[in-house]
Amino acid sequence: MTPTADIPLKEPAVSAAAGDAEQLERARIDASTRVPVLMFYASAMAWLLIGTLLAGFVSFKLHSPDWLSDFSFLTWGRLRPVHMNVMIYGWGSMVAMGTAIWLMARLCRTTLRHPLLIVTGIWFWNIGVLIGVIGILMGYSTGYAWLEFPPYAAVVLFVAYVLIMSWAVLMFRFRRGDQIYITQWYLLGAFLWFPWLYAAAQAMLFVVPVQGVMQAAVGWWYANNLLFLWFGAIGLGTAYYMIPKVIGRPVYSYHLATIGFWTYALFSSWTGMQRLVDGPFPAWMITASIAATILTIIPVATVGLNHHMTMQGYFPVMRYSPTLRFTVFGAMSYTVFSVVGILISLRSTARYLHFTEASIAYSHIGLYAFFTMIMFGSMYYIVPRLVGREWRYATLIKLHFWASAYGVGLMSLMLLIGGLAQGVTQNDPSMSFIQSVASVLPYLRGRTVAALLLTISHFIFAFHFGLMLFGLGRTSTVPTFLNPIEAEGAEPHL
Amino acid sequence: MKGLVSLFIGVFGTFAFSWVGLTVIPNLQIGALNPQMDEEGTDIYPAPKSGMAERGRRIYAANGCIYCHSQQVRPDYASSDIDRKWGERRSAPRDYIFDRPVVLGQERMGPDLANIGKRAPAEEEKPAAAPAANSPAASPVAAQSPPANAAPAKPGATSSPPGSPAAPPQPPPAAAASPSPSASPNPNGVPPVYSAAWHHRHLYAPRSVNPDNGDSTMPAYKFLYQKHQINGERSADALALSGREAPPPGWEIVPTYEAKCLVAYLMSLDQSHPLKEVKSAAGAAPPAASPPAPPAGSPPPASPKK
Repeated sequence: MTPTADIPLKEPAVSAAAGDAEQLERARIDASTRVPVLMFYASAMAWLLIGTLLAGFVSFKLHSPDWLSDFSFLTWGRLRPVHMNVMIYGWGSMVAMGTAIWLMARLCRTTLRHPLLIVTGIWFWNIGVLIGVIGILMGYSTGYAWLEFPPYAAVVLFVAYVLIMSWAVLMFRFRRGDQIYITQWYLLGAFLWFPWLYAAAQAMLFVVPVQGVMQAAVGWWYANNLLFLWFGAIGLGTAYYMIPKVIGRPVYSYHLATIGFWTYALFSSWTGMQRLVDGPFPAWMITASIAATILTIIPVATVGLNHHMTMQGYFPVMRYSPTLRFTVFGAMSYTVFSVVGILISLRSTARYLHFTEASIAYSHIGLYAFFTMIMFGSMYYIVPRLVGREWRYATLIKLHFWASAYGVGLMSLMLLIGGLAQGVTQNDPSMSFIQSVASVLPYLRGRTVAALLLTISHFIFAFHFGLMLFGLGRTSTVPTFLNPIEAEGAEPHL
Repeated sequence: MKGLVSLFIGVFGTFAFSWVGLTVIPNLQIGALNPQMDEEGTDIYPAPKSGMAERGRRIYAANGCIYCHSQQVRPDYASSDIDRKWGERRSAPRDYIFDRPVVLGQERMGPDLANIGKRAPAEEEKPAAAPAANSPAASPVAAQSPPANAAPAKPGATSSPPGSPAAPPQPPPAAAASPSPSASPNPNGVPPVYSAAWHHRHLYAPRSVNPDNGDSTMPAYKFLYQKHQINGERSADALALSGREAPPPGWEIVPTYEAKCLVAYLMSLDQSHPLKEVKSAAGAAPPAASPPAPPAGSPPPASPKK
């Protein structure tokens, strides 16, 4: 009897009546989350498209600086934070909350109460992001990375968050069954970490501002923790749900999962200061973060092993299931993300990679290759269950996947190699500074190609999602497979 | 149920650990520093900036300068920042105690600015008017600063093997144009490097200040400047522009108040004052810096290499 036995990982193949009751209950739960989750997704998609276009602008303007530079609100230095914040708060946070709420309802086996309050919260959140974006464009950016929104936008976001998440956390009160599944650990952690993180950073930067360089320390502490404890935690939690669910097989080891979760919480929350390596800080802070970054290899190894062993023998399912393909790509990218994080943090390599484009690559591997890909996967799973239709075109899903995968892969390579070229040049005092800029320029142009691929990918997905939203999906009981299933065994839960 | 309680405790505990460890404790250590002063209570460093410079910092932050320019000098054992003459010593927490927002920077698509004000020519009353006359006077400061890193290697960038900056066989004409913009009467009438007039021109048209700057990816900040019709005489602060960037005859480009604040801020950036807690590189720098100089032993402009 494994501890997972009574976890609803797998649609149980019990008697027809009991199965019907399960089905019915699940449908009821899904129905209760329909409006808020779809609103989350629709908002997130809108922000994703805006953020993608901005990313293209930002990428292009970085190597062609005279393009559209004559208006203050189109200057590179304003578009770039807008792109980042739209992706973080508009796309990333909203899709994360949507998926997390749906998962929470499913795993607590309870209907979502007060969906209207959540809907109100979603409106507030959208308004908050919009206010922040306009604020940055008008020149009111705060100047702290990832926290550029003017503080008044942050207040709106915070209120919206409380409206949304208090109900998600309250679902725990009404949950059925004593077991708490791994996904719920991550989600509950994220739900509680984010407000603390956000409030602490806002308070220490704007309400009772800390002195001097401590602002930078708080800023990087916030940014890295947001990456790990908010996006990363929800991403990993989702992967822990989707992978076993789709292949219909319990998670390989609960013990590994426990180790993975707690070491993740412990070590990744201590990272951040390595981004300030050799800066004006007490050396212990930076060393502590570098050590913590190295130690993140433990959660990576355990989580990776766990997923791998769960998938063992089921990898061919990726050929058919869109959800699984995106999710496994994301889960594998988590390993890449952490390894790159370690490689660029070591003092010996930071000498060449600090202050270069490599750190941009790192953020994109984390936020896109890891987190966003898992979120795409979860949307492929969840949306059909909310709208009662199946995805219309397998070809579009495949295009979406490959454009995204190649796009983010190309971008990461360009930025890592370009960053190395840039850093090696900068580190050699006999080379002029401008040579380091010249050395990275070709890679920045390559990055623009990658941005184009991602733009294509996102517009395809948005179109497909729009079809679903307007009820134009396929009416069918069979999910959309990426490739026709050959005779031997259809997988029922794709 | 027990599982839930321990989960809550663990979630809070791990995060509190990180919050206390990475923000609260460091804040106790370096969060309440005072300016340093000598025994007589004079010679206070750092000092708060002027109102204009403070406003300039907001503009610096709002327009994203921070994404390409750092303001921190790393120690010589870990980087080439000091060799590049970006500063004479590493930056320390005390340098930033009045900074809000603090703009340490995260990337260097542009050079470090921690000491950009210090690297301005010493006197710069009428920079645009008499560049040639001005810079010899400024030489003690100017010579050791800006063009230092830029000059010797630049010819390499334009023409020849980037790996060998020494490549002395540069044709003299090229060398004459670039070696030390601060000292040379630049054909384009570019003001001495890092003077206020230079900053204005650089902000207005980044790729016009130095012919070798063609690779610079800095956007132009033309929206911080206004185009006026000249009536009567030229404004005193009109930009000296030439070539493609020059306004049509009868017009002039003048900085807005915001541009002036931004330049005032840039001119105020200076971490050259020694700090007790930092091993002053004043003694250490020359020995460290001199070895690289001889190889670059190109003509007189090599002096900037120190």
